[in-house]
Amino acid sequence: MPETPATAGTTTPPAGTAASSSSPSWAGQLRLTVAERTGRSYAARQYHEGALRVLRPHYLDRSGQVTYTVINPGGAYFGADAYLLDVAVDRDASLALTTQSATKVYRTPQGPASQEMTVRLGPGSVLEYVPDQLIVYRGGSYIQRTRVDMDPTASLVLAEIVTPGWSPSGESFAYDELRMRTEVRVTPPRPEPPEAEASAGAAEPTDGPREGDTPTSSDHDPAARPRRLVVDQLRIRPGAHGDMTGVGFMEGFSHTGQLVIADARLTDEVYEGLTELVDTSTTHSGITRAGVGEPYGVRCVCVRSLAHSTEDIAALHRAVVNLLRQRWRAQPPLRLRKY
Amino acid sequence: MTDPSLSGILGLMQLTDSALPTGAFSHSMGFETYMAAEQLEDEASFAAWLEMFVDQQLTYTDTLAIRLVYAATDFERIEDLDELVTAQALPRQIRESGMTMGRRLLSIGARSYPGEWVRRYQQGVAEERMHGHQATVWGVLARGLDVPEDTAVASHVYATVISLTQNAVRGIPLGQNTGQAVIREAQDWVDRAVVTSRELVAQGIAEEVLGAVAPGLEIAQMNHERQRARLFMS
Repeated sequence: MPETPATAGTTTPPAGTAASSSSPSWAGQLRLTVAERTGRSYAARQYHEGALRVLRPHYLDRSGQVTYTVINPGGAYFGADAYLLDVAVDRDASLALTTQSATKVYRTPQGPASQEMTVRLGPGSVLEYVPDQLIVYRGGSYIQRTRVDMDPTASLVLAEIVTPGWSPSGESFAYDELRMRTEVRVTPPRPEPPEAEASAGAAEPTDGPREGDTPTSSDHDPAARPRRLVVDQLRIRPGAHGDMTGVGFMEGFSHTGQLVIADARLTDEVYEGLTELVDTSTTHSGITRAGVGEPYGVRCVCVRSLAHSTEDIAALHRAVVNLLRQRWRAQPPLRLRKY
Repeated sequence: MTDPSLSGILGLMQLTDSALPTGAFSHSMGFETYMAAEQLEDEASFAAWLEMFVDQQLTYTDTLAIRLVYAATDFERIEDLDELVTAQALPRQIRESGMTMGRRLLSIGARSYPGEWVRRYQQGVAEERMHGHQATVWGVLARGLDVPEDTAVASHVYATVISLTQNAVRGIPLGQNTGQAVIREAQDWVDRAVVTSRELVAQGIAEEVLGAVAPGLEIAQMNHERQRARLFMS
């Protein structure tokens, strides 16, 4: 199927619809492929269905980075509903992905609500994923699975915040279960494309979420397989922990945050800068060099936070994102305008 | 040996003995951070910490890794599990302690109880394709010794509990008798780890939840890296 740049709001079936027709029925799905042309990133493909869509893209600075805002017209995730976010950022493209408001999960007597997010990052690409906080209401269960496959020269930041939920009586942690799992893999280095045009899509396996997708280059060299960089997990079952606000668990705090950074340029100097931000923040946080070895040269840093408010964690996450933008791309701070 | 099952038991006793030179005596797995904050000062506070550690960390990492090793049908799966259990350990010192202790266990185990998978594991570590995490190494050795799965899980958790308690006796410090009382109390938590991990396998989510460690504990383990005065390496 020829590649036709989609404009915001149009519903274009994704190329290779076979993958999507065989997938489970999604309560909402959003598929977005961002490519780059003459320094400007744009949606080369965009498809949405059901209770997920994106607002018109924004260019918040002069870097050419495109910002997309995911919205959920239904207002919340409901029981047994599954949502899919499939995001590809092609060679040298840059995407900031956020949400319009907090992700809310209401009572889920039919079974947990779930979000599957699959991300593919091409050479030289950038993804900053900075959604609003997650709120799981009384009697709600939520499972989130995120899988990132990145080129060794790509740059990834994932920043998430979880609130203690909400119940009519004002009681915290009244939800049933929350599970968030993020796995990042690094794909073997890919050679430069023979022609510039080739990067528009043909070189990218962008159709549908396929577990175990492997670049064809690894067919010849058994050692050049995608390698797991890091697995970040959060599982909270308020009923099962006894006093879950206590030692080891929430340590008396109410909100938790997680930040995963994967980039080959995470030098000691950058790490020191990040450590200072963690130390001066109003959160109770830890920072560490995470990840297994340095697959294909990619390094990983994780920050885990506890705090008394969403804003305390969001402020730290913003500071981290902005330091990396300045250091790696001389890009101004991320200023998300919410509508 | 006259009783064939005895050889497995003796092998298990050797490899889970707290005197096995894996370096377990130099790891607090995060309790030193709580010690420095003066949160661990007596039997009750240390026992509460250790119970949390067994419930929140060991149950969701090592026990699941051991069970998944038992379910493995080929060595490629062992390679995958070794990578998974290492990748989920976010705090650097926790990841490194798992590898340091695991590699020593592997080299001792390979000499005493050689087998095809043990040999391939050693080769994988030597070629830097594998990491040698303690839980997956123990799973492979225990399988080779025909140790029943639940026993392999329980003995690993119990060995970790005993080393950590001995370290607390020296570090906090606690009395020797206090340490023994905690170890006795911990037998119930070991049993719970066996039951919970078995249920997670039965629910089919063992691999998916492997690594779901409590956030406060992870932060303490991360912050240990930058603590000024340290008795322990983690």
